[in-house]
Amino acid sequence: MNTLRLYGRSMAILIKSQLQYPLSFLMQTVAQLVMEGGEMLALILLIDRFDRLNQWEAGDLYFFFGLMSVSFYLTEIFGRGVTGNFPYMVRTGQLDTVLLRPRGVLTQVLCSAADPRRITCIAVGTVSLVIGSNLSQIDWTLPKILLFAESIFFSFWLILGLFMIEAILCIHSVKSVELANTLTYGGRSACEYPSDIYPRPLRILFTVIAPFALVMHVPASAILGKPLYGWPMWTAFVTPLSGLALFGIMYLLFRKAMRFYRSTGS
Amino acid sequence: MSYISVDHLCKTFTVRKKREKGSFFREKETVHALKDVSFEIEKGELVGYIGPNGAGKSTTVKILSGILVPESGNVTVGGLTPWTDRKAHVRRVGVVFGQRTQLWWDVPLLDSYSLLKDIYRVPEDAYRKRLDELTEALQLGDLLRTPLRLLSLGQRMRAELCGSLLHSPELLFLDEPTIGLDAVSKLALRDFLQWENREKGTTILLTTHDMEDIAALCSRVMVLGHGEKLYDGGLQEMLLKYDTKRTVQVEEHRNIDHVIADMYRDLGL
Repeated sequence: MNTLRLYGRSMAILIKSQLQYPLSFLMQTVAQLVMEGGEMLALILLIDRFDRLNQWEAGDLYFFFGLMSVSFYLTEIFGRGVTGNFPYMVRTGQLDTVLLRPRGVLTQVLCSAADPRRITCIAVGTVSLVIGSNLSQIDWTLPKILLFAESIFFSFWLILGLFMIEAILCIHSVKSVELANTLTYGGRSACEYPSDIYPRPLRILFTVIAPFALVMHVPASAILGKPLYGWPMWTAFVTPLSGLALFGIMYLLFRKAMRFYRSTGS
Repeated sequence: MSYISVDHLCKTFTVRKKREKGSFFREKETVHALKDVSFEIEKGELVGYIGPNGAGKSTTVKILSGILVPESGNVTVGGLTPWTDRKAHVRRVGVVFGQRTQLWWDVPLLDSYSLLKDIYRVPEDAYRKRLDELTEALQLGDLLRTPLRLLSLGQRMRAELCGSLLHSPELLFLDEPTIGLDAVSKLALRDFLQWENREKGTTILLTTHDMEDIAALCSRVMVLGHGEKLYDGGLQEMLLKYDTKRTVQVEEHRNIDHVIADMYRDLGL
């Protein structure tokens, strides 16, 4: 409880800091809107041209896109410490300060940054979800609502876990942003669409290694009533747990890596 | 057993150099930052830790404060090993880096302090009392509502010091705290450190290049060079031992920095 309170207070301070530069904040928020709006425009054009992708109709595609947008940018808002700041903290030695305080390293890293500008991206994602839900005429029963919430919750941990790969590598002073980006930003772009439209190697990548399919596509397809890979409904409640599992593995590796942290400066 | 005990401490860094023309691999060099350093510090001592740039002073401080893990050697601070019991250890320790800020840049000091209170889990009344005490001793009263980025260097240093002492640590590490400060701020800072050491019994390890700091504050000095401890003892004895030229050139005005420079030369640093 205490940790959550600390997190809340840290976020309050960070937002206060960002609002010290209101115009900059406003402009960047608008820039985010244009960026994510552009992504959605690409989808709209695609749907306008093709109507459907395999068995997925327009509404389904909007739904998948919206789920990814909301999940990914939630992670970027609240996990900014890991997704953006960590390599910088290692390079400049700011991580020293974190190690000097009697709290978990990851907790403090998450407390150290937030990116509220992404709120507009989430707005775009939400619009896409609403359009998708209407077009596909989803009947929102309680299990479906729970499934939806579960999917977003575990997607957060999955994406955070994937971003931690970069964090782990950079402690070992390896600059390998591209490798890590393949899974994070690459995964985001690819998995805006259901994974079964891809050839087998990519399907395996996004099911077994970076399980976007298990955390997002299986529950989303169950909500849409067109189960992915033909799996039964109940599996949709189980597979998202893989997101937390991936995060757990990364967390352990991260703790091991911290022993090799070598600080810089002064 | 002493409060701080450092026993045969070694720390190496691997430095990868830029690849030379014609060779395929990058050259790796092992730098021995600390070679078998041992010392003990008792509770309530105020010790100066000096040595030329790159001698390993900051590395020692970083190991003692739990940031770095050494290759070999034992360290205990009040019965705990810093890097294995990190959380329990840092709760009792305060660190000030002269070249780095540990507070939040864009928010008023008071917000930073209040967040530190939560991080260290300081009870509300203890925090109030300590904050009052520190703001008075460090003359921070008027600055508490100012964001850190608007403070001058001297003000910021005092603010940093207050932040590192809010949880009433029993051990304080200062890494070049007077760097870049004007005479007035320096004197004020020294007075405060003396006060903190005397009134609260805080053990202080001070790393600095400013010999005036050492002369004003520390009765005991440790000299580090090339990762080895070269001298450990009283300041006066050290000056007498290495100030060999004073008798020859009486008329030349020599300050403490000259003596130290001679000493480093004598020690082959």
